[in-house]
Amino acid sequence: MHRRTEALYALGFLAPYLSVLGVFFLYAFLRTVYFSFTQYDLFHAPEWVGFQNYAALFREDLFLRALRNTLFYSFFVTVVQTFLALVLAAILNTKIRGVTFFRTVYYLPSILSSAAATLIFIWVFQRRGFLNYALGWLEAHAPILLTFLGLFLLFQLVQVAWERRLGLPVHLFDPALATASLVLALALTWFLVALGVLAPREGIEVKTVWLNTRREWLGVPIPLWSIIIMNIYTTIPTFMLIFLAGLQDIPKTIYEAAAIDGATPVQQFFKITVPLLRPVIFLVVTMSLIGTLQLFDQVALIGNAAPLESTITLAYYVYNSVFPSGATPKVGFGAGAALVLALLTLAVVLLQRRFGISERGY
Amino acid sequence: MTAPSQVDPVFLARRRWARVGWIYGTLLFIGTLFIGTLYVAFITSLKDDPLEQPFRFLFPQLSPRNWAAAWQLGQAGARDPWLGGFAPGAEVPFTVTYFVPEGREAIPPEVRIPRRKPGAGLGAVREGPYAADYAEVSPVEEVARRPGTYRGQAGTFVRYRFTVRYVGDGPRIERLPADLEVPRGQRFVEATLAPNRIERRGRVASWDNLTPGFLGYVFHNYVRVFREARSLSTGESLFWRWTLNSFYIAFFTVIGNLLFGSMAGYALARLRFPGRHALFLFMLFSMMVPFQVIFISNYLVLRDGIFGLTRLFGLETLLNHPWGVIVPGIVGSSSVFIMKQFFESIPKEIEEAALIDGATPFQTFFRVVLPISTPALGALTILTFQGSWNSFFWPLVVLTSPQDVFTLPVGLLAFRQAYGVAGDWGLILAGAFLSMIPIVVLFVVFQRYFVEGVSFSGLKG
Repeated sequence: MHRRTEALYALGFLAPYLSVLGVFFLYAFLRTVYFSFTQYDLFHAPEWVGFQNYAALFREDLFLRALRNTLFYSFFVTVVQTFLALVLAAILNTKIRGVTFFRTVYYLPSILSSAAATLIFIWVFQRRGFLNYALGWLEAHAPILLTFLGLFLLFQLVQVAWERRLGLPVHLFDPALATASLVLALALTWFLVALGVLAPREGIEVKTVWLNTRREWLGVPIPLWSIIIMNIYTTIPTFMLIFLAGLQDIPKTIYEAAAIDGATPVQQFFKITVPLLRPVIFLVVTMSLIGTLQLFDQVALIGNAAPLESTITLAYYVYNSVFPSGATPKVGFGAGAALVLALLTLAVVLLQRRFGISERGY
Repeated sequence: MTAPSQVDPVFLARRRWARVGWIYGTLLFIGTLFIGTLYVAFITSLKDDPLEQPFRFLFPQLSPRNWAAAWQLGQAGARDPWLGGFAPGAEVPFTVTYFVPEGREAIPPEVRIPRRKPGAGLGAVREGPYAADYAEVSPVEEVARRPGTYRGQAGTFVRYRFTVRYVGDGPRIERLPADLEVPRGQRFVEATLAPNRIERRGRVASWDNLTPGFLGYVFHNYVRVFREARSLSTGESLFWRWTLNSFYIAFFTVIGNLLFGSMAGYALARLRFPGRHALFLFMLFSMMVPFQVIFISNYLVLRDGIFGLTRLFGLETLLNHPWGVIVPGIVGSSSVFIMKQFFESIPKEIEEAALIDGATPFQTFFRVVLPISTPALGALTILTFQGSWNSFFWPLVVLTSPQDVFTLPVGLLAFRQAYGVAGDWGLILAGAFLSMIPIVVLFVVFQRYFVEGVSFSGLKG
């Protein structure tokens, strides 16, 4: 086929995509850059103001709040969910029957729409919602639970000491002995409760306000913590699946060799799994950072159930500047903030390109 | 440490079995955490008071006895055992038992059919026919009496019976609410159907609907989702409208992405043209830029009808129109990317034979390549449908009024704003669960594709 004919065919194939990409991405991107240098309210013609928007943005409290919230949220959620997803994947990677069933079950929360999932969680976080009830139950039953835990450890230690004296190479958390300790501890705790020696504490009610509060914990607003919990919960399964795919490429023989050399599962996890999965971990971290930087839906759905400045993120700031309720749109501000968001995302991607791609675990 | 060969084989076997046990235990525990949250939220969506404390895992809506009663009462009220109601010719028998402590006189309860609106939020706006205008309550008669103790108190259990009739002819009414009031001291014990609330220190037992039918009793919040929120212009159910909108938008988004995405992906994978590499890099760039960066201009473009082009179809603007959501997403960079990756993985020889036979690239693509691409197209269908069904930000920008044009996620936000303040979480949760059904069904059927979709998108970083 002639070169030019082929190029023309290519143009034919690409035409729909190129027009959408051109109008709704390239043109839109350039216009956002332009808007960020103007004063614009969606109705009157934009007015060029140079760098004023940016100067004003970095002096505005709400924007700095949004920036701080976004950065902390993104960093914290990425670290925690990557770690937890990896641990979960390592557990699920075991060769046992019915593992596919668990994979399916674990994956379920992450296919749900953020709207539906967030509504469920807003209910969980109500003052009289399920979370406070569960915390109250735990607090009331703390004596029983602690007794049980103490008994379990006690039985375990006694058994391990006994077996070691017999010359058996048992590990501190030997699974067989732990099962025995578990059964014994359960039975004894149940017995103590039946005798009335142990009883749940009365009159305990947890009334933590999770959403509509200005209180902070570790310098981070409580409502933001609520969003962090909910998002870690819904995103873990997706990443877990990616890790699982990566784990299946690691030869089983490495683990077997390590086990023969006496490496515990925890040692195997940190000394084999983590280093060998480094490329996948980099990928997941990048995806997570990009995703979390754009946090919007949860903030919008929580809406006025929480103070704006404690949940606001960059993405929501952009939306709120363009469509503020009952005020004049400040498109210039929104566009400026949007570009800050884009720059952050780009920085993440460039960092990954710099460090992630060339890394090969083995 | 002792070498494994010297260790008792029974000891090793014991350890292996125990480890498997612990792994299952851990898996179950984590699974309970994930699914448990959904489960408690689901049973809460069945409750009368979704914020009750302490939280109950068992409540009247979960009791089979009440299911049967609701079924029969629905049959008696409107010959509709599923959704119940109150229709002409209805004759609803009802029995109720009270406990009268010793030394008090047993006084029959006073039965009232109140004019009660069906709840807070959007439902409070609607004015409908009231059962109170058509219902006639027979005199309450005593049917049985037996001595006994109730909560450590001696006294008598008295059982009463009454009948509610629909007098004359009239409209079919959705609900038959009822309040039963007794003097202080007497206590409500049980009734044909468990009441929704006990009020005023136990004196008033209150039913939202005496003739609910099975669904109307167990899934009353779900029925409310469809019944209460109604369009101001057409009167049809808003939730139903939103569902249709979501399907409409998802359908065309999927079609567009399948067709245009695979076309563009094929060109990028197989055809040579100037700027191919640059276009690929630009595509990757477009996948990374957050949506918030480009939405301002897109909003304006749609507002002005894509440079006036939509006037050809008689539309001034694409705002508040489903195609306003569809058009910017009709072919996404990630769809192109997935298809490009797929086409690169299939052997070239298949197409070369067709090309040598004199077929044009278009013919080759549609006759030879697409038919063997079903696995990738399947995964892309699922991925696009899920993305479109769940998407929130862009529909929120484009679809603002009237409520008839919303998609499900935007509609859920409207529910949250209308009912959240009143604490009517049962209805909000019911809406959330209803909106999940299509995705969950897809997931159960095409589980494999979902998982493949993740590994596809995992390639993109």
